[in-house]
Amino acid sequence: MKILTTVKKVVDVELTMHVEDGAIVEDGLQYVINAWDESAVEASVQLKENNGAETTLVSIGGGDNTDMIRRCYAMGIENGIHIDDPALAKADASIFAKVLQKVYEKGDYDLVITGKQAQDTDSGQTGIILAEYLGVPCVSNVIAIEVMDDQHIKVSRVGDAGTEIVELELPAVVTVDVSINEPRLPQMRGIMMAKKKAIDVMDLAALGTSDDEVEGATPKSEIVEFMVSKTRKAGQKFEGDAAEITAKVVDLLANEAKVL
Amino acid sequence: MNPLLMSLLLIVALAIFGRIMYHKILLLMALEPVNRFNHIKVRLLNMVILAIGQKRLVGRKKEWIAGIMHAFIFWGFCILLIRSLSLYGEGFVKGFQLPIFGNDSIIGYLYIALKDIMEGIVLLMAAFAIFRRAVLKPERLHNTWEAYFVLVMIVVLMISDLLLDGARYNLIMLYNNPDHLHFFNNPQYGSEFLWTPVSVGAAALISWMSADVTGYILVGMFWLHIITQLTFLNFLPLGKHFHIITALPNVFFKNLEYPHQKAKLLDLEDEAAWEDESLGINHIHQLNWKQGLDLYTCTECGRCKEVCPAYITDKPLSLHEFNDKLKFELFDNADNIIKRAKLSATIKEDGDSEQMKEIKARVVELNSKKQLIGDVIEEDTLWACTTCRACEEVCPVTIEHVPRIIAMRQGQTLMAEAYPKELNPALKGLERNGNPWGIGYDKRADWADGLDVKTMADDPDVDYLLWVGCAGSFDDRTKKVSTSLVKILQKAGISFAILGVEEKCTGDFARRVGNEMLYQMMAQENIETLNNYKVKKIIAACPHCLNTLKHEYPQMGGNYEVIHHTEFIDQLVRSGKITLNKSFQGSLTYHDPCYLGRYNSVYDQPRSILKSISKDGLKELTRHGKESFCCGAGGGRMWMEETIGKRINQERAEEIINKHVENVAVACPFCLTMIEDGMKELEKEEEIKTQDICELVAKNME
Ligand code: SF4
Ligand code: SF4
Repeated sequence: MKILTTVKKVVDVELTMHVEDGAIVEDGLQYVINAWDESAVEASVQLKENNGAETTLVSIGGGDNTDMIRRCYAMGIENGIHIDDPALAKADASIFAKVLQKVYEKGDYDLVITGKQAQDTDSGQTGIILAEYLGVPCVSNVIAIEVMDDQHIKVSRVGDAGTEIVELELPAVVTVDVSINEPRLPQMRGIMMAKKKAIDVMDLAALGTSDDEVEGATPKSEIVEFMVSKTRKAGQKFEGDAAEITAKVVDLLANEAKVL
Repeated sequence: MNPLLMSLLLIVALAIFGRIMYHKILLLMALEPVNRFNHIKVRLLNMVILAIGQKRLVGRKKEWIAGIMHAFIFWGFCILLIRSLSLYGEGFVKGFQLPIFGNDSIIGYLYIALKDIMEGIVLLMAAFAIFRRAVLKPERLHNTWEAYFVLVMIVVLMISDLLLDGARYNLIMLYNNPDHLHFFNNPQYGSEFLWTPVSVGAAALISWMSADVTGYILVGMFWLHIITQLTFLNFLPLGKHFHIITALPNVFFKNLEYPHQKAKLLDLEDEAAWEDESLGINHIHQLNWKQGLDLYTCTECGRCKEVCPAYITDKPLSLHEFNDKLKFELFDNADNIIKRAKLSATIKEDGDSEQMKEIKARVVELNSKKQLIGDVIEEDTLWACTTCRACEEVCPVTIEHVPRIIAMRQGQTLMAEAYPKELNPALKGLERNGNPWGIGYDKRADWADGLDVKTMADDPDVDYLLWVGCAGSFDDRTKKVSTSLVKILQKAGISFAILGVEEKCTGDFARRVGNEMLYQMMAQENIETLNNYKVKKIIAACPHCLNTLKHEYPQMGGNYEVIHHTEFIDQLVRSGKITLNKSFQGSLTYHDPCYLGRYNSVYDQPRSILKSISKDGLKELTRHGKESFCCGAGGGRMWMEETIGKRINQERAEEIINKHVENVAVACPFCLTMIEDGMKELEKEEEIKTQDICELVAKNME
């Protein structure tokens, strides 16, 4: 089985982002692998270890992704493709899906595993659009993957009311939730081996796409501005005996909040 | 007496003994090298104090009686060695006397007096030891036939020698046989028997026997003594009593680094090491020879497990069993290890590559077939240790457990990648944001907002760098400690700054769990930052940071003068820069953090500060100072679940509760968390307040 996994580099969401003039301030930010994609990588590696599979990852855009790809190698991924092209600067999910379609077609894959969304945009569309382009079945929000035979997999997905078990014929696309696994931490041995491995970096031309397919396609959406969400005001703490506190709170509710 | 018999006995016994010892030494020489031949003077001094002086036996308040008992048996044996030599001489030459110790010198007389009394004392002590094992049954001792057998042999040795002298006395004095038998009789010092009350006492006991029987007793006791002694000698290397031979060298070769041998700075890029699986300890042959000698020497006294927080709370970690298992694995593989070492020595990097490959394959063939972790030592055993060092502090023969445990963890983490996966979030947090909580590194200095604290970037010329640590920066409870410390420093007018967002975890916990890669990453980045600002003096607000910065960063080129906040506050008080009020009310005790006490010998300063502020003085916990009891968070255990046995923090919290105090002071953020949590779990957090010394000082200074 050949598995293609997609990975995206996102801003470390543990950091506080600052926006100036509608753009994100890059200073002090650091980029890491999207958590959902990290789970997709772990899921692919586990399938490789348990069932035997060839694993390839692809990342698109974002400049130099060497560190992130090496980290995935260290986790156990075997091949890495990085597509970088200035034409992708304003790409949205539909364009990414188009590029992925090209990658897919070149590699004759059986299964595509993507994170169900990215931590930065939270749009959750790329995998699903890709399935549409490829005309293959797609299951989203997957929390378990089991190989049935060469042609079939069984996946569990979280729905509103419970878990659905879905059988799929390959090729297929699945988008996974972070709860599918606990991604391993790359260890030194893997990191050392990863250093020696090549990354297949290519632009759109090298990928063999024509202008109208990707470069000429207009994104279906565009980011116009970033805004930082407002932080909640800290609550107030009251100390003293019960009677005092009650009086104070009632007073505030009546006079300041004007709800009483 | 009988030169032929004597020669025969000596040849057989010494040949067997020599062979055993030769093999044991060969095995040690086949283990990994480590230099323990430097600083001979210090080593001799250690030997005098710890081994000959029996410091950890006699000096342990809790068990001084057993300590004295052991010490006298040991001293008695040392003294009796000389007597034994003269007895062997007597086997060949009638009336044999050692030079100096003979009839014509006072030394000879003093010696026989000393020997005589010592024999009596050793006899009493050995009898007491048997009584103690059989009746008093201290929990730490596990009773084996071997222990009794050795004690009985000691009793036999003493009795036979006393009776030998007694019989000689009777034959000379009662049966008037002075010519036939030899004894000291110098006109100046008188007869030998004036100097030997115990032997004369023994003589009285057998004075009813006839001359013939007494003659038989004399000869019988002589040979009994000699044969028991030679049996004893050959029995020693077979079991735990090997320590009688190896304890002195083991203490002599003891590590001189403080507080124990530092973890090796591994070269993680060394491909050959990866191939040989020689990063950390993965196979029994990777112990160094001193660690092998440690295993020979373990007396199975159980002192280590008696103080071990993991053992006490029912984790599957019993140190003397740990030693025993390693020892048997070592002995089981002895021949292969020796062959392996010989074969490895023939590998030459520039040799014929095919041939070398073949030799290497044969070397690997000789590895133990057992997995060191898994088959010999259980995984849960390895990971239960909090690295508190209580075991090392009490071991009478200075065995070092922790470096070995860390090296095995390195093997598990680096080579086998088989470490507890629950550590991953913390390790990942370190990798990304330089702290085990994984909180964005950009928030590291948020706690200092509004406190008017400079960063090194603002002013690199300050006198001190305040090293806040991850807990002090990110943990809400510990942030209050950081705030208090800042208040104190500002009050004292100290010129200091923090690194702010440039500070990262020192890597302490990564190193203790064997993740040398992340440790080196953290250390390297921190050292670069520190050296960049030319930092010289650091005040550390966490004992773990203190220990790593002070003792481990020098391995990587980071040399600073590092001091813990309690030491610094103590200095401030002494120099009058801050004045403390004796205004703190309520009973108070202090919990010694392992990494401050046992790792850095800071015991007095925290106490002195607390005594200066407490109206009611300071109550000591039962386990305090060198034998303080760990909170359970060290050695990376802070980031692992504690699912086996009782929780260590609760054990400690209970001890505090039983002291009936209202306040407990700590000096480490992990202790603060663990003890406070323990109090919460036992629903005592309202009655007993847990606070850092900084907080108490900030509230009680002028
Ligand atoms: S390691 Fe030391 S303390 Fe522990 S049993 Fe052996 S000799 Fe005793
Ligand atoms: S260091 Fe502490 S926890 Fe570890 S074995 Fe020794 S006493 Fe037990």
